[in-house]
Amino acid sequence: MYRGREGQWAFYLHRITGVAILLYLLIHVGELTAAMFGAKYSNAILGFFHQPLFQLGLLSVIGAVLYHALNGLRVLIMDFTSWGTRVQSKLWYGVLLIFALLYIPTIIKIMPEIFGGGGH
Amino acid sequence: MAIKTRNFNEARQQASTNIELIWWVFMRVSGLLLVFLVLGHVFMNNILISNTSIHYDYVASRFSQPLFKVYDLVMLVLAMLHGTNGLRYVIDDYFQHAGWRNFIKYTLYFVVLLLIGTGTMLLFSFPFDKVGG
Repeated sequence: MYRGREGQWAFYLHRITGVAILLYLLIHVGELTAAMFGAKYSNAILGFFHQPLFQLGLLSVIGAVLYHALNGLRVLIMDFTSWGTRVQSKLWYGVLLIFALLYIPTIIKIMPEIFGGGGH
Repeated sequence: MAIKTRNFNEARQQASTNIELIWWVFMRVSGLLLVFLVLGHVFMNNILISNTSIHYDYVASRFSQPLFKVYDLVMLVLAMLHGTNGLRYVIDDYFQHAGWRNFIKYTLYFVVLLLIGTGTMLLFSFPFDKVGG
């Protein structure tokens, strides 16, 4: 068993978040396609996904997107600079730091809307 | 086979075919564009407003604006291709049995092409300035 360090964790998280985002994307495009059939069907489906369970899922997907985007930038730095690979584990901690700085306020903003019903 | 390396020159040496090299480059170019497109999309629909306030009128009024048609079409195509190619790498890594591997891959390609098609139809089924408001 390979005892993964930072790079291995970064890689696995990139994969898992990537697969999760694609699954969400397929549902998301399918869900919006209902708008072609008019307001009645569209609102029924959009309303279905406004339930707290799905909104919590969406909040997780936002987190997945944020990590995947930031770590993707780390991959680009490693691929296209001469120094990127040498500092890859530091870059990963940078990814986690920026992730936390952006995601925590996002949770604080969205969480009350899910349960408070502030949107409607 | 997917290319596993850390820079373009190595990728060029490792690429089994030109097409694999093109996909390697595509993942990086589309990825960079998607960082801005998708984070912008998430910001507009989850931070500036509440996602739970999104109903048909909002969707229709966005899809009727030319700028969002272009924005969403580019994002749709890039995200679908980026995600599908990424999952292809994952499938290649974890499914040893050729029959299953191909079945899963071609099912994925079918679903994705279908959704790129319906997604594009959706974007262009709303006339400019006509719907919502």
